Amino acid sequence: MQLWLIPALPLAGFLINGLFGRRFSKGLVNTFAIGSVVLAFVWVLKTLFGLGGLPGTYTEHYFTWIQSGALTVNCDFSVDRLTAVMLLVVTGIGSLIHIYAIGYMAHEGGYYRFFAFLNLFMFFMLTLVLAANYLVLFVGWEGVGLCSYLLIGFYFDKKFATDAGNKAFIVNRIGDFGFSLAMFLIFRQFGTLDFAHVFAQAPVAPVALLTLVGILLMVGACGKSAQIPLYVWLPDAMAGPTPVSALIHAATMVTAGVYMTARSWVIYTHAPIAMDVIAYIGIATAFVAATIGLAQNDIKKVFAYSTVSQLGYMFVGVGCGAFSAGIYHLMTHAFFKALLFLGAGAVIHSLSGEQDMRQMGGLRSKIPWTFGVMLCASLAIAGFPLTSGYFSKDAILLAANHRAPWIYWVGVFTAGMTAFYVFRAFFMTFTGKYRGKEHPHESPPVMLVPLVILAALSIVGGALFKVPDFLRTVFPAAEVPEEFGPMAVASAAGLLGIGLAWLLYVYRPGIPDSIASGAKGLYTLVYNKYFVDEIYDAAVVKPLVGGSRLVLWKGIDAGLIDGIVNGIGARAKNIGDVLRLPQSGNTRSYATWVALGGVLVIFLMAALGGLR
Amino acid sequence: MPGSPMFHPVDLIRFLPEIILTAMGTLIMVLDPLIHRRESKFYGTLSLATLVAAIGAAIYAYSHPGQAFGGMLIVDGFATFFRVLVLGVGILTVLPSFSFLKRQQAETSEFHALLLFSIAGQCIMAAANDLIIIFIGLEISSIASYILAGYLRDDKRANEAALKYFLLGSFATGFFLYGVALIYGITGSINLSVVRAAIAGPSVALSVMVGVAAALMFVGLAFKVSASPFQIWAPDVYQGAPTPISAFLSAGPKAAAFAIFLRIFMTAFEPIGQAWAPLVWASALLSMTIGNFAALRQTNVKRMLAYSSIAHAGYVMVALATASDAGIAAVMFYLAAYACMNVGAFAVVSHLSGKDERYQSVEDFAGLAQKQPFVAGMLTIFLLSLIGVPLTGGFFGKFYIFKAALESNLVWLTVLGLLNSAVAAYYYLRVLVMMYFRETGEAASNAEPLTPAFSAALILPALGTLFLGIFPGWVLGFAGRAASLVK
Amino acid sequence: MNLLLLVLLLPAAGFLIALAVPRSSPASSRYWALGISLVTFVASVALLGWFDRSLGGDQFTVDWQWIASPEIRFHIAADGVSLWLVLLSTFLTPICVLISWNHIQSRVKEFFAFLLLLEFGLVGVFLAQDLFLFYVFWEVSLVPMYFLIGIWGHERRIYAAVKFFLYTMAGSVLMLAAIIYIYTRAGTFGYAAILDQLSSGRLVFTPFEQMLLFLAFFVAFAIKVPLFPLHTWLPDAHVEAPVAGSVMLASVMLKMGTFGILHYALPLFPAAARRCAPWIAVLAIVGVIYGALVAMVQPNMKKLVAYSSVSHLGFVVLGIFSFTQLGLDGAVYQMLNHGISTGALFVLVGLMYERRHSLAIEDYGGVATAAPWLSTAFLITTLASIGLPLLNNFVGEFLVLQGAALANFRWVVWAALGVILSACYMLWLYQRVFYGELKEEVRSHMTDLKLREWAVVIPLIAMMVWMGVYSKSFLAPVGKTTARVLAQTQVHIPERVEFGSPARTEVSRAR
Repeated sequence: MQLWLIPALPLAGFLINGLFGRRFSKGLVNTFAIGSVVLAFVWVLKTLFGLGGLPGTYTEHYFTWIQSGALTVNCDFSVDRLTAVMLLVVTGIGSLIHIYAIGYMAHEGGYYRFFAFLNLFMFFMLTLVLAANYLVLFVGWEGVGLCSYLLIGFYFDKKFATDAGNKAFIVNRIGDFGFSLAMFLIFRQFGTLDFAHVFAQAPVAPVALLTLVGILLMVGACGKSAQIPLYVWLPDAMAGPTPVSALIHAATMVTAGVYMTARSWVIYTHAPIAMDVIAYIGIATAFVAATIGLAQNDIKKVFAYSTVSQLGYMFVGVGCGAFSAGIYHLMTHAFFKALLFLGAGAVIHSLSGEQDMRQMGGLRSKIPWTFGVMLCASLAIAGFPLTSGYFSKDAILLAANHRAPWIYWVGVFTAGMTAFYVFRAFFMTFTGKYRGKEHPHESPPVMLVPLVILAALSIVGGALFKVPDFLRTVFPAAEVPEEFGPMAVASAAGLLGIGLAWLLYVYRPGIPDSIASGAKGLYTLVYNKYFVDEIYDAAVVKPLVGGSRLVLWKGIDAGLIDGIVNGIGARAKNIGDVLRLPQSGNTRSYATWVALGGVLVIFLMAALGGLR
Repeated sequence: MPGSPMFHPVDLIRFLPEIILTAMGTLIMVLDPLIHRRESKFYGTLSLATLVAAIGAAIYAYSHPGQAFGGMLIVDGFATFFRVLVLGVGILTVLPSFSFLKRQQAETSEFHALLLFSIAGQCIMAAANDLIIIFIGLEISSIASYILAGYLRDDKRANEAALKYFLLGSFATGFFLYGVALIYGITGSINLSVVRAAIAGPSVALSVMVGVAAALMFVGLAFKVSASPFQIWAPDVYQGAPTPISAFLSAGPKAAAFAIFLRIFMTAFEPIGQAWAPLVWASALLSMTIGNFAALRQTNVKRMLAYSSIAHAGYVMVALATASDAGIAAVMFYLAAYACMNVGAFAVVSHLSGKDERYQSVEDFAGLAQKQPFVAGMLTIFLLSLIGVPLTGGFFGKFYIFKAALESNLVWLTVLGLLNSAVAAYYYLRVLVMMYFRETGEAASNAEPLTPAFSAALILPALGTLFLGIFPGWVLGFAGRAASLVK
Repeated sequence: MNLLLLVLLLPAAGFLIALAVPRSSPASSRYWALGISLVTFVASVALLGWFDRSLGGDQFTVDWQWIASPEIRFHIAADGVSLWLVLLSTFLTPICVLISWNHIQSRVKEFFAFLLLLEFGLVGVFLAQDLFLFYVFWEVSLVPMYFLIGIWGHERRIYAAVKFFLYTMAGSVLMLAAIIYIYTRAGTFGYAAILDQLSSGRLVFTPFEQMLLFLAFFVAFAIKVPLFPLHTWLPDAHVEAPVAGSVMLASVMLKMGTFGILHYALPLFPAAARRCAPWIAVLAIVGVIYGALVAMVQPNMKKLVAYSSVSHLGFVVLGIFSFTQLGLDGAVYQMLNHGISTGALFVLVGLMYERRHSLAIEDYGGVATAAPWLSTAFLITTLASIGLPLLNNFVGEFLVLQGAALANFRWVVWAALGVILSACYMLWLYQRVFYGELKEEVRSHMTDLKLREWAVVIPLIAMMVWMGVYSKSFLAPVGKTTARVLAQTQVHIPERVEFGSPARTEVSRAR
């Protein structure tokens, strides 16, 4: 089936644009960049149809990448239904966002560079989902991290952008630390890294090991999917161009952790403790991020924290054994969160760069199309009944309720908060009267068309694509009865949030400030994201750098070790000085020395000779 | 056993080198008043010819090995090796002396005559087989070299050096003579083989006296080879004496002294080896350490090379301490290599130091590589060899010495010796640093152009150093065969 | 004519002829050096063609008597490991010639002569099969590097050169003592013969003897590697050396140490090596982390790369002393990787120095705007050196860590931190040098790559990608040889370790 073509196409696009793009016209760049991705999407469809209903796993072997001793890592790709979902989401959403970017980046410098990186990202992301073993997956895993680094720092003359890029890469490296340790343990135990063989042997492996592996894998996922305690890089990642935020930091890359943990479900189902860890991290992240989202004024920051929070939901799903629900939400989230970002991008674009919601308002009349699609997206994320978000979120919450009610209740409350802050943003942007100075203008069709498609998906996508049913052959059926009560409560929470937002930001706009001033401490705490960045900086970064400079370099290296080395030299010279002392130049004293030496020698020899 | 006192004509062949040297030396002395050609290179050329002829004679003599003059002399591989060695050193001393003497307007016949006499003495030492002859050779060699050290009459440093050398030298020779006398008293013979036989005998009562005698000779010889604790004179003398003479002293007399050292201790005193070996052990370690560490602080190149020659004497003593044939072979090889590299190094110093040896400090080598890359290159070879970098004679010399030492289980001496050689690298490197890494200084820019003779004086030892470093087998093979002395 | 001999002798001949080239025309020196080094490289590539990958043992053997007594033989041969290191040397020498083309203006003739002499020494070190011959090459390679640093280096070059020489000398004299001692016991310098005597039990060292001998060898090698805490000569040497010197030093010379450990210290003294392994592994791990942390705070680009070498070489040593097939393969691969990627880093830093005449990081900034292709090349190299998949270092680091994980998982938990830190210091460097506002003085100096520089950069990057994507073509011959070494060390660590089973927390407890 030539699976390799799927990532190879964007790779080709990257190489062509990367090497020669500078000389190309924008049109030519578009042809290669968008063309390659759309072709990849088409090829995915063709492949999937070609493979029929995908009852099992279809694998292709290309070449042996690493061979040493008992370790053999093959460059293999494989497709099953889970992969299929991911492929469709990545190439589908990817294509739309590529098209949207034509309009959005039209006036930016480094046009070809942008699309080259975007294509490179597609290549790595597709490698990640197609991988048939942990190491090839890790290739994609690291690769998407690289592209994220490059695209966050796309405006590389801005320090905050490159800082954000470094932060993203390094925090991800911390996660990868866990991931690689997990791989070492897996190989140590199973003697292979191929999914098929690992999962075949996992059920009989010691639980302690599986638990350790599971937790370490989750550490990796925490980095990639921005979960506590490694979520700090994602909000800063918004420094990149908005299409990047939509594609990489909302729809696809950040969900890689969810995909990877779901992919490793066999390990987790045999390691309940590890699953609990995932669930707890997920719910905690969902809650904390949502609270932060309440108080942000930068529209992209709001959606960034919302992404963190939604990813938390997905992990709750995985942690509660509802893997398919997690993937379900992954897909719907890809729809509406991509849309939210692209819409926000359209807004920012129309205000030529303004991101502060306090400078917006009343845009409904000025950019009606954008207003419309944003409404769809906001409803979907708020879990408004029968929108895509409604189905997937409820699937997760039901599973949570089944596993541990308290997770369910926290989840419900978070859902309420989500609805609130999303609509807060929505109202601050579109209702009221315009507070900014720029002259808003509606985006070009090339941007609007993808928005409309995504809007449609956000509304009906959930009902249209029943992922859990599709994935029944992959995951063990999460035996969760369709209970009406909890579902109703969850949707009610969403509606409540929307209502509250309307109350505070449309009906009585004065209240929020009074609340903020009322609960000053709490507000500043939340507004400043609990000062987590500051704490990390003070607790980790500064000590590390300072210690390295003062203690290790100046102290040990230059001071101690070289001190000893040079000290030896100095001592040697001192010895030399001592040994030169007899050289007085005075002949009589020399004669004395000779005489003394002679006496000494004679005495010794007389003694030694006598020993015979 | 002593040969018959009767005189054989073949003895003359065995004695030919010494005959040639003394004859020509005298001739030069005599010619001087007759033909007044002070300024010319005449005498130098003559003495060169003499030395070459003497080498030929030495080799020819080896075709008639055996004892001469009733066992007073012996011509064997060992003797021939050292004869050729000291004669070679002579050539390497004469070659650079041309430009030196010219510079000092001191192109006299005495210089060459004295040189030839001194070398004659060393040849006798190399071939001597009884204590009196050894002593005579020693004295001929020494007295000539005392004068040579003070050869530049109006140079205070040289005169002081000569005086010190003379006083202390004769002082040390005194010790040696007492030793000889004592041995004669104990054994009734001065022939080494006989002495050995007597000592090997079970006359326990005598042993302490024998020890004392050995000690007295040790003092005299250790002084001549500038090994601790009798190295004290070397720095002052080497620094004070005219550089070509310093070169000569550091190679010729030293080699000859080691030759008799080996003869006496490996033949006569071999039976009480376990008694004197520890002494040599200590002396070796002391010499290496004092030489190398003191050299670290020298700014005057000649003085630095003096200390380094003490250190190198120490290495040779290591080989002696093994009291084995392998050790003897190592000594012979090392002395050959050392002669090449050290005389070569001194030649460069003399070349650079200019009139009245103004430039003697390490600093004066600054930038020599830019001014005279050839000279710098040659000196580089000598210095690398002195450091003991592979593919040079110095390296193989050290290698054979420490190999012999380990074969005799002198593990600690080996380790300490090798560490010493690492220390030594530092002060040799300083010269390299100056020559290559610094901008041209006064001395280098004033360095005079090369004469053919002087180029030869550099190329020959350089070739020797490299030859011993790349094809050591030939020389070592000869030394190995020659090492088994007549017992 | 034996091809291997040709590869060894071409540089030597090149050196001698380079000495004869008239000082008056530096150009001819340059072209001669380039020509001869390229020919050598081609010859060594041809070597690859004849090399039988199915054998781990020595090939292309040349065995002549050099000195009769004590018998020293001119015995050279290549195995799966030395072959690659030779190729690395011959690959980098022409590159060094090219980057020195304009960089070196004074005493051009001597420079290229020394460069060729250096190549001769390095190739010899990897090929010698006679302990004595090995020591000869070991020392010979020291001299040209000393002059390269001392003559063409920067401000503190003299201190650096002398420090470099004495550090190495101090280590190698002990090794010489050990070599001679072995000879006195075995009666030969022939490496194969000695191994044979050891395995057949005709030559037996007491544990104490073996430990001392091992340490004598190991210290000499550890200084060259350099293993913490014997590394302090490296930063000075690297910073002060001219570009070509830094490249040869980092890429090839450091490998003399690791090669020595792998090829001599382990097979000759397995028991001692096993006993020391836990301690050495700890030192290696300390080196990994320590080197990375110190690199992070360096204000000087070359110094930063130098300390990163300390960190990278730590991985190599760790891999070797994991006594696993993966670890050894990874270590060898990491030697080559480090040679390519760190070599490339020094090359690029050198190119920037040629333009801006500064190594201080704060003198740069915004280079990406001024010289995009140079920046791209540097970025790829950076990514390679921080171990990004599909580039060379990843394969090596993965194998090393996986191997170490089989031996002792606790090692890996620490060593893997080095992977995080490498990202920290390299990306931070890249950000400060290439990103940010374009400073005026940078704009005025920074031009993009020229043709000659492309010719240097492209092969290096091509190698990074090739080695990262298709490691098979390199690992295949290596595995055979490392397997043989592993057999000689007589340690068996199972390829799979059941969790919870008392999987050796210390290698020394093996069997």
